[in-house]
Amino acid sequence: MSAPLFRAVTMARRLDTGIMERQNTIWRILLLAIPLAVFSIFIVWPLLNSFYYSFTNWNGFNAEYDFVGLKNFSKVLTTRLFTNAAINTLIWMVAAIVLPSLAGLGLALLLDSKIRGANVFKSIFYLPICLSAIVVGQIWVWIFQPDWGLLNMAISAISGEPFTYAWLAKPGSAIYAVIVAWSWQQTGLSMVIFLAGLTGIPQDLTEVAEIEGATRWQRTWHVVLPLLRPATVVVIALSVINSLKGFDILYIMTGGGPFNSSDTLAMYMYNESFKKYRMGYGSAISVILFLITLTIIFIYFRQLKKVDEIYD
Amino acid sequence: MTSPAMKKSRAFSPWPAAVFICLVVLALLFLAPTFGVLLAAMKSTGDIAAGQLWSIPTTLFLDNFREVLANPSVKIYFLNTFLVAVPGTFGSILMGILAGYVFAKLPFRGSNLLFLAIVSGMFFPPQIILIPLFRIFNALGILDTLWPLIIVHIAMGIPICTLLMRNFFATVPNALREAAILEGANEWQVLTRIAIPVSLPALAVLATLQFTWIWNDFLWPLIFTQSDEKRTIMLGLVNLNGQYSVAWGVQGALALMASLPTLIIFLFFQRFFIRGMTMGAVKG
Repeated sequence: MSAPLFRAVTMARRLDTGIMERQNTIWRILLLAIPLAVFSIFIVWPLLNSFYYSFTNWNGFNAEYDFVGLKNFSKVLTTRLFTNAAINTLIWMVAAIVLPSLAGLGLALLLDSKIRGANVFKSIFYLPICLSAIVVGQIWVWIFQPDWGLLNMAISAISGEPFTYAWLAKPGSAIYAVIVAWSWQQTGLSMVIFLAGLTGIPQDLTEVAEIEGATRWQRTWHVVLPLLRPATVVVIALSVINSLKGFDILYIMTGGGPFNSSDTLAMYMYNESFKKYRMGYGSAISVILFLITLTIIFIYFRQLKKVDEIYD
Repeated sequence: MTSPAMKKSRAFSPWPAAVFICLVVLALLFLAPTFGVLLAAMKSTGDIAAGQLWSIPTTLFLDNFREVLANPSVKIYFLNTFLVAVPGTFGSILMGILAGYVFAKLPFRGSNLLFLAIVSGMFFPPQIILIPLFRIFNALGILDTLWPLIIVHIAMGIPICTLLMRNFFATVPNALREAAILEGANEWQVLTRIAIPVSLPALAVLATLQFTWIWNDFLWPLIFTQSDEKRTIMLGLVNLNGQYSVAWGVQGALALMASLPTLIIFLFFQRFFIRGMTMGAVKG
């Protein structure tokens, strides 16, 4: 067979969709095999196992354990410590939606007005996100330090009297102090997302509003903010999801204390499982945590879809 | 006086100046915490205890850094963290490339649902798989080594890496792939010779994100390692802070050094970093 003819035949063969499709299937399997295997073995399988252990009284060491049915769940849901952790997680969620999101929105609106040095400002506000939660926690432990912390020194200087309130050691303030530190780190993230949302708003719209005589405030309130809805959905969802992960910074700043006053679900799960070695009980907490996250993700995807429908 | 005919935006407005001043004040407030660590690192413990932490140092005091550098544990922590972060970053990106390519270029029935399931993995708190993973690694006999950390970071990185790589590969024109296939190239060649070379920006985004996250990680080494020789830097930092319990200056120097790699990445690859964060967030 001559070379050109051979080429034409192979080309025709390749175009044959049956062969193509079979080849594609082989490639799909070859390429997906490793990532799917890793994901299944180390994420999906453990997740299913969490459900399994949540019905047992496994202690983490012994090979033997018994099935206890729904006992772990009934115990978890009636324990004061769990309700306490759940309420704290809720407080954290609400604060996370309000503090870093609003601060990020404010900064994004200020930065969007073509200000000089905008990039430098952006970097400054964004910098904390590259620090680890451990370092951020350490920094803020110093700020809240009763004797020489920045906060108490500032209050002393303003009031003229020595002020030595131990923010992190008092049940009434510990969790809020941690939330402030956490918000400081997260603000940059929501700022960046809002900025991305702002660049998507056509300038004509605000210009038309300006010509029509709308004040700066009216333009922001009636034109810009409604158009930022998609970005807002993303920021709020991220804040909620990240608040469920709140662990590292708590661990370093309060450890969940004093008297469990700053426990979150993630912290509570860790303490029960790896401090008290009640792995079955801890698994029940993680199952509850999973179900809460799943519900939030479900709501989030539905909201995103709605947003898409409005703007398409 | 400005004439009414003049465009409104050209007229003097106090707004930009007010915004600028406002931003400067906020930026200073925002920088204060980080600046405090820098100050502490350059102060002796006595000075800090005497309430001198927040004053500007007059002399260059480097004893804290010397103390940190002389500590043999610190070197081990740094080495361990690199030994986890580098393979973890490469591994997770490789997984993302493989899976992302299939989802972008070889979709099949149900592939969207599978993609969504994988991507949603990045929203869940790690606590929900902590106990079973502990048991798996215990059964494999690799607890208190660096292996569980590398494996977990590769696995936990799959959602974000798959998401970003799929979105990036989707922008590579299909015609390019089809032409190459007609010319006799196979899928692997299309991936390595066409798709990956044009995706270098996406790879840079992922490399900066993954490295930073793995470097800063705390929970996994807390669960999977016990001995001092296997600790990574963030866990080591907490441990050393216990050792230098009132030596705040040393703690400050340690925190600065532990943040140095990620700070450098941030300074040089900020654009990639921010893009990754927004892409991951918005598309998720």
